[in-house]
Amino acid sequence: MPPKSSSAGKERLIDDEEEPLQAVILADSFNKRFKPLTTSKPRCLLPICNAPLLDWTFESLSLAGVHEIFVICRSHADLVRAAIRESKWSKPSSGLKIVPILTAKETFSPGDAMRDIYTRGLITTDFILVNGDLVSNVRIDEVVKVHRERRKTNKDAIMTMVVKESGAKHRTRSRGDSAVFALDAESHECLHYEPVTGYPPKSQVRIPREIFAEHPEVEIRNDLIDCSIDVCSVEVPSLFQDNFDWLDLRRDFVLGVLTSDLLMKNIHCYIAKEGYAARVKDTKSYDSISKDILARWTFPLVPDDNHPGGHSYEHLRGNRYIAKDNTVILSRTCKIGNNTLIGSFTQVFDNAQVTASVIGQRCKIGMNTVIRNSYIFDGTTIGANCVIENSIIGSKVQIKDKTRVQKGCLVADEVVLGPEAKLRPFERVSKRRDADDAEEGEEGEDSGDESEAEGDDEEEGGDDEEDASDDEDEVESDSELEEAEANQAAIGATLGADTNAIAWPLQSGEQEDSDADEMETFNNQRLMRIGDDASDLDLTDPGSITSSEVDSDSDSEDGFMISGARRASSSATSLPLTTPSTELLVPPLASAAEKEFQSEVMQSLERAFAEGHSVDNAAVELKTLRMSTNVPLRRVREAVIAGIVEQIPIVEGNPAQQRKEIASVVDRWGELIDKIGGVDAVETVSILQTHCATSERMPLFGQILAAMYQNDIVEEDDIREWHKLPASKGEGLKSGTLQENMQKCWTIGSRMIQQFDEQEESEESEEESED
Amino acid sequence: MGILPEIQNVANQRIVEVLVSKLRRRQLVGSRQTAIETVLVLRQVVAKARFSNIEQLIQIIKAVGRRLVQAQPKGVYPSPVYSFPVHSIGLLNASAFVSLPYPEHTVGNTVRKVLHHVREEYHAVSRAGPSTQTQKSSFLISKFVSQGQPRKQTLAAPKSEARTTSLRENDPDDPDSFAKGLKPVLMEAIQDVLDELETVYDNVSKSARDHIHSDEIVLTIGHSKTVESFLKAAAHYRNYTVIVAESAPSFGGHEMARSLSSAGISTFLVPDSSIYALMSRVNKCILGAHAILANGGMFAITGSLLAVSAAQAHSTPVVVCAGQFKLTPLWNLYHEYGALDFADPSSVLGFEEGSLVDKVDVVNPYFDYVGPELINVYITNDGDHPPSSVYRLIKESYDDEDHEL
Repeated sequence: MPPKSSSAGKERLIDDEEEPLQAVILADSFNKRFKPLTTSKPRCLLPICNAPLLDWTFESLSLAGVHEIFVICRSHADLVRAAIRESKWSKPSSGLKIVPILTAKETFSPGDAMRDIYTRGLITTDFILVNGDLVSNVRIDEVVKVHRERRKTNKDAIMTMVVKESGAKHRTRSRGDSAVFALDAESHECLHYEPVTGYPPKSQVRIPREIFAEHPEVEIRNDLIDCSIDVCSVEVPSLFQDNFDWLDLRRDFVLGVLTSDLLMKNIHCYIAKEGYAARVKDTKSYDSISKDILARWTFPLVPDDNHPGGHSYEHLRGNRYIAKDNTVILSRTCKIGNNTLIGSFTQVFDNAQVTASVIGQRCKIGMNTVIRNSYIFDGTTIGANCVIENSIIGSKVQIKDKTRVQKGCLVADEVVLGPEAKLRPFERVSKRRDADDAEEGEEGEDSGDESEAEGDDEEEGGDDEEDASDDEDEVESDSELEEAEANQAAIGATLGADTNAIAWPLQSGEQEDSDADEMETFNNQRLMRIGDDASDLDLTDPGSITSSEVDSDSDSEDGFMISGARRASSSATSLPLTTPSTELLVPPLASAAEKEFQSEVMQSLERAFAEGHSVDNAAVELKTLRMSTNVPLRRVREAVIAGIVEQIPIVEGNPAQQRKEIASVVDRWGELIDKIGGVDAVETVSILQTHCATSERMPLFGQILAAMYQNDIVEEDDIREWHKLPASKGEGLKSGTLQENMQKCWTIGSRMIQQFDEQEESEESEEESED
Repeated sequence: MGILPEIQNVANQRIVEVLVSKLRRRQLVGSRQTAIETVLVLRQVVAKARFSNIEQLIQIIKAVGRRLVQAQPKGVYPSPVYSFPVHSIGLLNASAFVSLPYPEHTVGNTVRKVLHHVREEYHAVSRAGPSTQTQKSSFLISKFVSQGQPRKQTLAAPKSEARTTSLRENDPDDPDSFAKGLKPVLMEAIQDVLDELETVYDNVSKSARDHIHSDEIVLTIGHSKTVESFLKAAAHYRNYTVIVAESAPSFGGHEMARSLSSAGISTFLVPDSSIYALMSRVNKCILGAHAILANGGMFAITGSLLAVSAAQAHSTPVVVCAGQFKLTPLWNLYHEYGALDFADPSSVLGFEEGSLVDKVDVVNPYFDYVGPELINVYITNDGDHPPSSVYRLIKESYDDEDHEL
């Protein structure tokens, strides 16, 4: 054998094996937007362009050179496992090692799954975390490279999220579930993450002011698709373990990490310039991703080139894809429109029209039938003179002659409809259970039967609760299904004479659970439904009102400390959004928590003072308190300074004694101010000022400041800087005692600075005289 | 002997699979690079293969070739009879139903070439026969005698012995003996293919100064490595000007212009739209090819047809530079202009144009089909040929039975 080729081959192998790359696929959707299609199989096995979603995900990962994949499955785990076993990916030649992992039934959220990963100790290195419904051709290995490079210099960069530029109104960008990212322009560090729901429309994003102080250039972007591809470090699962209440990867984990300054971890974004990546989150994105694939955005991951299911298609003009194995029979008079994919062994009869649709394998489309913007899975037979629009039809469905399936319908596997059935828009239909397979258990769906009478305009929707998932426990689902069955008579849909189906109850937004998750409210869900243009929802942009102080009133009533300085540096800036989005002011819950926090802090400080705790212990106590209530650092500082100031006894008429008291208190407790989790001396001074201005210890301001200066809690420069702030002068306050007091404090400060200047001068003159 | 499982096995080897997935994912760029990778894989396969007669070996190579070509789902249809069970499709005319070639034809071509060489070597050896032991037989056999000895054999071993063992097919006592004897020759043959690929640019450029004269203005489009080295070679002898069309949307022309101007050639970069306007001043069009078809036409980068039509209108000569590994036994019967390998729309319409994406269908073909009547000459690494004799070259390069792998 010539030596050259063998050595070249070896080198390549060594390169490949250098850093084994692990990936985790969450093969459960943890919601049920695809009901009832997901009654008999999990979402990740639903076909998109005739290949199961899971295969698309595997293809995306193997493109990135992943070696080991853990597939976390929960519902229908046996199906997932069988699918993996039989797929081409588990052959040794694919170079992938796929390990299906069955997680407990109690895993209700991605967060639970992450905790499960942690307990099993699967992860040994940086890994890629994706969902089982990913379609992507992004070079994830590039992202991993960037991530690893960053980790070399910054150990706190624990995660890199892949996002894709799309423009605010892209069809693949979910209107119901998107986010605003605040990124550092240079390092692409994610500074702030704000989840955005489509309904009610969100008009403001609150971005913590510190971000602008710390980063010279910040990009605030509302045009990114979150691809749900995360390159995570090993500690990510352990963070989930530590924070047992984190459920969602974005709204809990990312937000939690970014807002916590105790964790001191960073998350970065990778803005994918090239490539395509999106998640099939809901029926709407199923529709748009199918269209993207057919329009070749996912190139080279297109049906005629690299079809994950291993089918081969011929690409014809106008993005028509026809299976290439000479088994498709198209009638002479049928019409195949643009952006259509037709699987092998499918027959289309005379005068049928298929436009912008995906037809599975072994389907039959009857004479004069019209199919538009629909997705028909394998083995389905559609009779003559039917109309199917904007719908998803499961596999082995039989739709008999003259049936109309209107926009947004979901028809589950093995349903028989018709003849002359007429489904209302957004109807969901599944097979009626026979006595013997009753325990197969078609899963639950939140049902609301009041709404049937409300006509076609009030559409049903999945009012899914957070914990609801593809696979409900039997008891619940049974009761719900029975309810649905009992209501069949009342449901207006005519399913035809030969039907074996039941229609799921329609539902409207009227009887919402008031405490249901914002993301999952009915109207928001409507934005994620196939065929629903939601034109009757009021989603107009409230306009671009730029106001930087919208929220300062909301937290000024909290007592304890009312101040002008607060107002000037109130913690957020509001920005208008260009897309429909939701109002997210501070929920009343948050201010309640803040109040509670303040009283707790006072108590714990009092205890500390009274019982003479060490400074460290007191600091730990404050930190824990802050963690549990999640208030900004400034509140803690305010509380501590107030506590310390109030601790100083007032001695009338004895300035020397008074000074001694002050010194002793500041000596003992001053350190605490800098131990609560961040040092900001300028803020300390202004808080001290505002507190003194409202307190009876107003006259002590100068002395306390001096004592702090003595104890190195504040430096000369800090005092100068504070002095320069317009707020310190009491500007922007209504005139009154408060403003007067602020002014007084400021004058004291001026005097001090004067002293500093004199000192300097004298020092200088001394030096000069020495010369 | 279970030859079928053996073939199956070989076709699924890891190394083949790696190349297959690279091809599928379009991680290999450039026809020459692809061809070289293919030869390397074939060499490995042959080196490892177990066979006891030539048919088995050919089966093995064909199986690998089939696997590689199938990795490119746009199969090659060498037969002009187009069989598709589609009776009719409305909204479409017949021209839409062409058999469409895959972008990397070079894989199939290389496999065919290797097969051709393998057969040649085998025939040479067997014709020589055990009786002819002198070196007066064919050139190839002489090479075998002088260089092709199995490495393991000691130099002292008599040549006749090696010869006889190498030629006994289907030896029941030692089924591997045939393979052992033939392999060195085969390696030699494959090395020849590889050498040809590695020197292809130099050989194409050899005649550069005969084609480009001083003070000429030459137009080219896109970035073809062959054309680049051809022009650079000419620049050693001649002082001339190149106009490079940028070839949207890949803009390979930018890279080309940079490279040429850094080699000291006076270069103009122009948008594709001005090709026609400039053509009256151009003395010659020099283009690269992606695949040369049996009828003398070719597939070339998008925009080539534009340039060539403009050249036709001005009676400007069109010269195509390409290695012989681009010769493809394939006809383009139905398709008038494009090669219908469509890339993703993102280079034409940005993904960030969110609101447009839904409303606009983007067509972004990779290649143009340029018919033989529009081309004056092909400059290959083995001489210059008119389009009308391409079929002859194909006949010489490949064996007929390999057209369908």
